[in-house]
Amino acid sequence: MSGTTVIPERVETQKPQKGWAGQSVPRKEDKRLVQGEGVFVDDIKRHGMGYIFFVRSPYAHAHITSIDVSKAEAIKGVYGTLTGEEVAALTDPFFQLSTPPGAHLKDYALAVGKVRYVGEAVVAVVAETRELARDASELVEVEYEPLPPVTDARRAEDPEAPILHEDSGSNLMWEGVYEWGDLDAAFAEADRVVKIKELHFHRFNSTPLETNGALVEYNRGTGQWTIHTNNQFPGFAAIMMGPAIRCGLDKLRFVTQDIGGGFGNKITSHPQLVVCCLLARKLNRPVQWTEWRTDFHLSMSHGNERWFHDTEVAVKEDGTLLGFRTCALDDAGAWLRYEPLGGVIWAQVTPGMYRWRNIRLEFTQVATNKAPVSPNRGYSRMQHLWFTERVIDIVAHELGLDPVEVRKRNYVRAEDMPYETPNGCVYDSGDYAQMLDVALDLIGWSGAEERRRDAAVRGKLLGVGIGSTLDSGTNNFGQARMINPELQFSGNNEVATVKLDIFGEIVVTLGTTPQGQGHETTAAQIVADILQCSVDDVHVRAGHDSYWNSHAGFSGTYASQFAVTGLSAVKSATEMLAAEIKKLASAIFGGVPVEALELAEGSVRIKDNPEVALPFMACGAIINANNAGLPEDLDVTLNCRYVYRPPFQVPDIERKFGNLTLTYAAQVHAAVVEIDPETGYYEIVDYAAVDDCGKRINPQIVEGQVMGATAQALGAAMHEVFEYDEDGNLLTPNFYDYHVPHALDMPPLRTGNIESPSPFTPLGTKGMGEGGGAGIHAVCAAIQDALRGHGDAIVYDSCNPYHRVWDMLQHPERTRELVEVVQA
Amino acid sequence: MLLREVEYAKPSSVAEALAILVEHDGARALAGGQTLINVMKARAASPDVLVDLNGIEALKGVELAPDGTLSIGPMTTCSELIASAEAKARPILGEVCAQIADVQVRNRGTIGGNICSNDPTNHLPPLLAAIGAQMTVAGRDGERVVPAEEFFLGVYLTAVGPGELLTKITIPAGKGDGFAAVTVGADGTCLVNAAASVNGAVRVALGCVAAAPVVLRPTSGDDEAVRTAVRAAGLFPPADVHASSEYRTHLAEVLAVRAVRTAVERS
Amino acid sequence: MSAVSSSKTIAVTINDTVYEREVEARKLLIHFIRDDLDFTGSHIGCDTGNCGACSVIVDGVLVKSCMMLAVQADGATIETVEGLAEGGELTALQQSFSDHHALQCGYCTPGMLMSATALLRTNPNPTDDQIKKALQGNICRCTGYWNIFEAVKAATADMA
Repeated sequence: MSGTTVIPERVETQKPQKGWAGQSVPRKEDKRLVQGEGVFVDDIKRHGMGYIFFVRSPYAHAHITSIDVSKAEAIKGVYGTLTGEEVAALTDPFFQLSTPPGAHLKDYALAVGKVRYVGEAVVAVVAETRELARDASELVEVEYEPLPPVTDARRAEDPEAPILHEDSGSNLMWEGVYEWGDLDAAFAEADRVVKIKELHFHRFNSTPLETNGALVEYNRGTGQWTIHTNNQFPGFAAIMMGPAIRCGLDKLRFVTQDIGGGFGNKITSHPQLVVCCLLARKLNRPVQWTEWRTDFHLSMSHGNERWFHDTEVAVKEDGTLLGFRTCALDDAGAWLRYEPLGGVIWAQVTPGMYRWRNIRLEFTQVATNKAPVSPNRGYSRMQHLWFTERVIDIVAHELGLDPVEVRKRNYVRAEDMPYETPNGCVYDSGDYAQMLDVALDLIGWSGAEERRRDAAVRGKLLGVGIGSTLDSGTNNFGQARMINPELQFSGNNEVATVKLDIFGEIVVTLGTTPQGQGHETTAAQIVADILQCSVDDVHVRAGHDSYWNSHAGFSGTYASQFAVTGLSAVKSATEMLAAEIKKLASAIFGGVPVEALELAEGSVRIKDNPEVALPFMACGAIINANNAGLPEDLDVTLNCRYVYRPPFQVPDIERKFGNLTLTYAAQVHAAVVEIDPETGYYEIVDYAAVDDCGKRINPQIVEGQVMGATAQALGAAMHEVFEYDEDGNLLTPNFYDYHVPHALDMPPLRTGNIESPSPFTPLGTKGMGEGGGAGIHAVCAAIQDALRGHGDAIVYDSCNPYHRVWDMLQHPERTRELVEVVQA
Repeated sequence: MLLREVEYAKPSSVAEALAILVEHDGARALAGGQTLINVMKARAASPDVLVDLNGIEALKGVELAPDGTLSIGPMTTCSELIASAEAKARPILGEVCAQIADVQVRNRGTIGGNICSNDPTNHLPPLLAAIGAQMTVAGRDGERVVPAEEFFLGVYLTAVGPGELLTKITIPAGKGDGFAAVTVGADGTCLVNAAASVNGAVRVALGCVAAAPVVLRPTSGDDEAVRTAVRAAGLFPPADVHASSEYRTHLAEVLAVRAVRTAVERS
Repeated sequence: MSAVSSSKTIAVTINDTVYEREVEARKLLIHFIRDDLDFTGSHIGCDTGNCGACSVIVDGVLVKSCMMLAVQADGATIETVEGLAEGGELTALQQSFSDHHALQCGYCTPGMLMSATALLRTNPNPTDDQIKKALQGNICRCTGYWNIFEAVKAATADMA
């Protein structure tokens, strides 16, 4: 692990700096976390609480013929149970985003009448202790009548395929055709057409170390639930849960605390939260649920598995890419949870990083008897960007061109920015070619051939590969209307409140739900810069609490947006506060004009006469406790709430055209692999990651996100997969079989960055937390490069464990069959 | 993650432990717990009584006799074996133990536990089979010595029967040993492993390819002789998410050759 | 003859204080630490003994407390993350973790700190490989381990 970039210098927090933004300020969160004093949801206890254990389906597809909970309920210490039948009586099915036929499916918090994937929750048992709930769950008797399952998305629409949702009558959950430019002209102009029969992006997710969980209390008097949870998008959970439970959203109070990683996998826990709510009310006691690791793997938020069939790429002899068409088949699993939004979210980055203008993509999403798919880091864009990177490499490979040159020839150029893509998304800024050069330099590209020879002497096949990717951030939720024109969503928002308390304390409340991104710290940096105080003087509350109205409909931490939505809300709320402080001082100083005042060193003072100053503490005290005699028209509260709203329009639904995300961070990675041709075993021996997320508020935090995304991508590239057998059993239901990277697995890492500020955001920042999976793209490219001249296999799958590399070495013809190059 | 109700005892002698194992039909020995407790968490097996061996001094310790024979107490942890000066007489022992999982597991996991659980992906069963270890098993009829090749009977099945305990592992002197594995990630679960020992004759033991280690005796230490022996074994390894049967068969051949090469180099 | 029973009264010393409780034999040490004694700093991240979030030091030895029974800790001395800092004064390791951004969500951090603490006690000047090996039993999904490695390495220099 040598060779990392120099970590930007740490900054003293005692004395105010010229600017806190741009400095690697030590994190406020760390002090409690390194002492084990963070509060995670399973740490919270309530007197008399009951622990939930879910009885889950052992079948991928079956009718439920009977459920008998009597033996379980008879056990002393068991407080009660909940079945699908009760859920169906007490709640309405969850709101569906899709159009018919997908829209007709009835999604309840527990399985009703049928189970549709192994691990689906059927009955909830609540008991005095965790062990007792588990014991009692074994006494719940569920009778099933098994049905044949659908486990291959490619077979889901066969005429004889078993249908998961009778209400839909089909396994087709959603489909749409996206086409822009002039495909016919593009293919007419092409010198060659590269055809790729099938590419496959595999099913995995980010397996945050803390699983989902909640502790739910019900107040009978007010009818309000308090939901302590680690759900990372409470706004979405509320919208899904309220109508289902038949209560107003104000009855659902979401309180988050420290969250042990989210990566999108803590967005769709609303079914389990509904179960908790119903039980808390039914049993008149707090109810606690912590997801077991196995439960998480079996049932929670798998990433989209996507096939790309019958791809055709129009290309000129010199490697200029004119366009492509493809058929994307998305495996949604058994239920649509946040889907089919994934069916359009890839459109934020339709052309990837490339300038081709003529694109057609037929998108089909089907249901299968697997765990439901929901957001995962890089949600839906990662799959699409992997596809574009595979196309680049395969085209380069087949045409005998250098993949670096093909990229440079086709990348969107810095001078093109802001760049409108064929479907109207506006890439705000960036210089991909420069990033590529930095990555190549870091990886020692010029010495690659010598390295290859040296590896060959040691009996190894060396390959170098590039993976470039975008992290589109700050969604325009209007894109939902391209899935379903009836969906009344558009735009986005985030809230911050900043107040000056009685003793001059600056208190910030965020609508966000950070899971390690350091929001308390970066928010404090923005505030401190505006109020000209120390970050130590700014207290940012940990977590999100919807009770106190510091949130809006889209509040949460997801989709690479905090640096834009959250921090912009903080900025504006603080600017409001700064203006109010000056207004108050103006009044107190006897009418001095506001322009003559400045904020400095924790006070407001007259610029030309700095001894005339009012410390913040005095301001807070006056407004809160000593306000007699203030001018009647002085509208100062020192408690400022701001809702940031990014500048979006509702997209053109007909043309599927419009700006779908506000910012487009980029990453370019390079990987060097060495393959043992005798076994297919390989190692990543060198790695470089270059990122551009515009203005970096806290460089160390940004770099941490790049590293984390890289590690997860490498794990997914090499080992991590949610693989099912033909009966629908998940073969990797825990960390024993599902191998994530450990410390010894990490390659040496070199990082670099450039900063292309976004012209569209108040701070010039771009969201960047997801990353875009560049590691997967790079490793695939590196493996294909290593196999060049040793069979020339095509890397067709995003996951390449040793056995697949072995297969590609042994039977390259099987993968070569997937590719055909024809003269146009 | 939550165990069924179980009874627990912590005897301080082998005799006491045996008595409890004999008296309670569903009793099982608890060594390091690094396998058994996970099995119990999954409720794949739920003994009625756990007999904790961690208090029995007689089951610990590593002794080196003047002729180079090592006597290893089965409750010796992997970490203790790695650190043991005596065990360095047969360096392959510590080297292979150091590849097992991680330091937390090695601090509690025991040699005896690793071989008595006989998970087909474990490191120590093929290793001990290759180097010709002898296991002393104590039961109600006294003690008997079982050579490694007769000790490993099937998946999770060894010569230690109900009411019995492994009480000693005896390793003959030697240093011409090798071990090769392909694992899922560094120090991860073995896809296939192979142990080899050259002591005049060549002995190879393959792990992960059958219910118990497959012991082969190639005619020589030459690559071709080793490959021939592996092919002649007629392996039909299990397939799972990590590897097909053919892939495992192929790996067995490659790793056997590599293990033997190392063993020859060191002999 | 030692007793065979389904529960036991145990006395465990955690961070210098003795706790006496009756526990079921089946209770895992991690659940005892977290649920019975409210030391919630040690965490649970898996159910197969792979993630290391539950790592604590028992009688001077680093273990995963999800693979020990509470009854096995009778009479033992246990150190958890809560016992590292003294009087709010962070250890060099804890400070180094913060300095090097070796934690993001903080969920794996207690386990990482216990593993690193155990390493540096017996091996104050570890090689790079020894550091990685010492952390191998602790899964992190946020950081990619690079900063954790730097933090431990820097702490050895501090303590040298």
